[in-house]
Amino acid sequence: MADLEIRDLTVQVEDKVILKGANLTLSKGEVHALMGPNGSGKSTLANVLMGNPFYQVVKGEVLYKGQDLLAMSPDERARRGLFIAFQYPVSIPGVTMSSFLRTAVSARRGYDKELMPVGEFQKLLKQKMDELKIEPAIVSRYVNEGFSGGEKKRAEILQMAMLEPEIAIMDETDSGLDIDSVKVVSDGVNRMLERAKGAMGILLITHYSRILHFIKPSYVHVMFDGRFVVSGGPDLAEELEQSGYEGIKAQFEVIAAEVQAEGAVRRAGKVFWVAH
Amino acid sequence: MQEQMTHLARAGFSRESVLALSERLGEPAWMREFRLAAWETFERLPWPAPADPEWRRTDPTMFRLEGIRPFADAPAGALPASLQQVVDAWQAPAGLLLQRNSQGVRSQLDAGAARRGVVFTDLHTALRERGDLIRENFMTTCVRPDETKFRALHAALWSGGALLYVPDGVEITTPLVSLAWIDADGVGIFPHLLVIAGQNSKVTLITCAASPPGDRPGSSIDGGGPGRVEGQAFADPVTELILRDGAQIRLVTLQEWGSNVAEIGIIRSVLARDAELRSLLVGFGGKVVKTNVESILDGPGATSEMLGLVFGDSRQHFDLHTLQEHRAPHTLSDLLYKNAVKDRARSVFSGMIRVLPGAQKTNAFQANRNLILSGGAKADSIPNLEIMANDLRCTHGSATSRINEEHLFYLMSRGLARAQAVRMVVEGFFAELLDRVPLDDLRARLQREIDQKMADDADGNGKGEIPTRRPVRSEERQPAL
Repeated sequence: MADLEIRDLTVQVEDKVILKGANLTLSKGEVHALMGPNGSGKSTLANVLMGNPFYQVVKGEVLYKGQDLLAMSPDERARRGLFIAFQYPVSIPGVTMSSFLRTAVSARRGYDKELMPVGEFQKLLKQKMDELKIEPAIVSRYVNEGFSGGEKKRAEILQMAMLEPEIAIMDETDSGLDIDSVKVVSDGVNRMLERAKGAMGILLITHYSRILHFIKPSYVHVMFDGRFVVSGGPDLAEELEQSGYEGIKAQFEVIAAEVQAEGAVRRAGKVFWVAH
Repeated sequence: MQEQMTHLARAGFSRESVLALSERLGEPAWMREFRLAAWETFERLPWPAPADPEWRRTDPTMFRLEGIRPFADAPAGALPASLQQVVDAWQAPAGLLLQRNSQGVRSQLDAGAARRGVVFTDLHTALRERGDLIRENFMTTCVRPDETKFRALHAALWSGGALLYVPDGVEITTPLVSLAWIDADGVGIFPHLLVIAGQNSKVTLITCAASPPGDRPGSSIDGGGPGRVEGQAFADPVTELILRDGAQIRLVTLQEWGSNVAEIGIIRSVLARDAELRSLLVGFGGKVVKTNVESILDGPGATSEMLGLVFGDSRQHFDLHTLQEHRAPHTLSDLLYKNAVKDRARSVFSGMIRVLPGAQKTNAFQANRNLILSGGAKADSIPNLEIMANDLRCTHGSATSRINEEHLFYLMSRGLARAQAVRMVVEGFFAELLDRVPLDDLRARLQREIDQKMADDADGNGKGEIPTRRPVRSEERQPAL
């Protein structure tokens, strides 16, 4: 059984349906890249998996290690090893990074009443910050407040490194980063994968294939209009890099029209449509 | 003396009580006359009415005197454990005064400070030893008895209290602490704090008013007469701060009354040339609290930082009126009040910036932020401006919001339980303010008390529960696609 199974997931925000029956299975030890044009539903999927209350699941289910993920509160998901690196992390005035991180790591590691001992925490924090080339001063600042775009993304990856998730969703972590920062972030993620020795899986959401040169995916999926429409190996990313989303879009429109007319399962070129 | 005491207890609020109090304290004739005149003023002034602008949001009948005694002795013997704890919480202050009910019971001052001429003592002692200083400054130029009915009552019946006098050029680096404690049923206390900071002097003063928690103040019964209201207490404190040229005062006013105390008070400062006041008002306790915090910038170059932190829970009611009055040019006032309300608590912030003609090149800033933590809680914000000068910089703003769900989701996505996330956001709300107060011990203490206030939620008593929002599940909702 896969560690994460998404079945026919249909999600709406207010009255707009964003995800229209998404299906995906992902296990620890795997890196799945999820690509697709803006507005295709990638971020919605990420947020729903983490339990963002602004999104409403109207149909489908998600099993995490065999259990109903959607019935869990966001904090329970996190404590059980799910993580999301947000595309747009919010800033929280007055809360310092260090106190936030210590509380979060303590929660993840099952400290109940007390927090993790401060010495142990500091040591861990310093190690992770060195690895990610993060300025130490950042921890005494308020969470994400006044951070540059790059600082925010690195801070997300720092949290990921500190929390040691089993399944991590990275939502466009590479957007807005210069190439050096992409390298630093990718090195950090690769180090995590290496250390986890198969105990961590990643859903790597990206608009561009650039980061896939540094973090090698085992699978690549393309999302279009709220559905997974193409799945393949790493070569799919290269293909997309050359042809863009236009080729897929044309194929998608062909079968969308046929499904509309006949209600059948179709395939046009690489693009498929699975009805449930 | 016993006879006078009995008389006081029986007489309640009357001219006879005023006379008996003055006689008992062995005061000079001028103070007796001062009290009697104030009593006449009290009788002459009307009770506040709900239509009065100052009383629009607070029911005046919350401050009834029926069943309240104007004086209660401090019980003899050792301090009870709860009070000893309050005293011990202050580590090595340069001086410490303790008023228990209507009487001063402890007075200490660092020998070095005393040698340099600092006076820090209860006001009755001060009246004997520094009568001239009191006569010149006690409710004469800063706060006056005829301002309101409760101020007149205070002037007539004040007891306990403190004088802090810092001579010209003297700097005291360690904080001085003045504590007030109520543990007699049905007592009204009228503590008066008079601070005179000489030219270029520098001092930090922390005042803390507290009483046992719960519905009754303590178990100490010291002769309350029949008809007293069980478990109610009343406080009518006045603080006067007089800052001479170049004086610097840091003042922290910590209010931690039990849930049975009604307080109506004023803290007013008058700042001479280049004087600098940095004040923080903390309101945690009491049932109903109406406090005026006022800075009069009387000399050019004077600066007043006015910070306020209020956290109301249960059915607490806080009504805060602030005044930033600029009478001289080149003056600066910078006010930030942050109020959080939970359960069915209510806070009112009413802030006035007044710039008098001629007070040019003035900077006056006022900001009020309110955080509402429960559906039944309420926070009002009423900024006012009266500007009679034309060359100045003045800003005011207020914002009232509920806790931000996106912030909570972010924290919860890292494993923090909802209650923990709420606590962290509330701590963050106050941190912006506390980060401006360079007293580490105090900051840690306030942080703990904020946590304590929040902890009711974590315990799941449901009083301040914020409804949890979860994704709507497929079983619950099936839209037409």
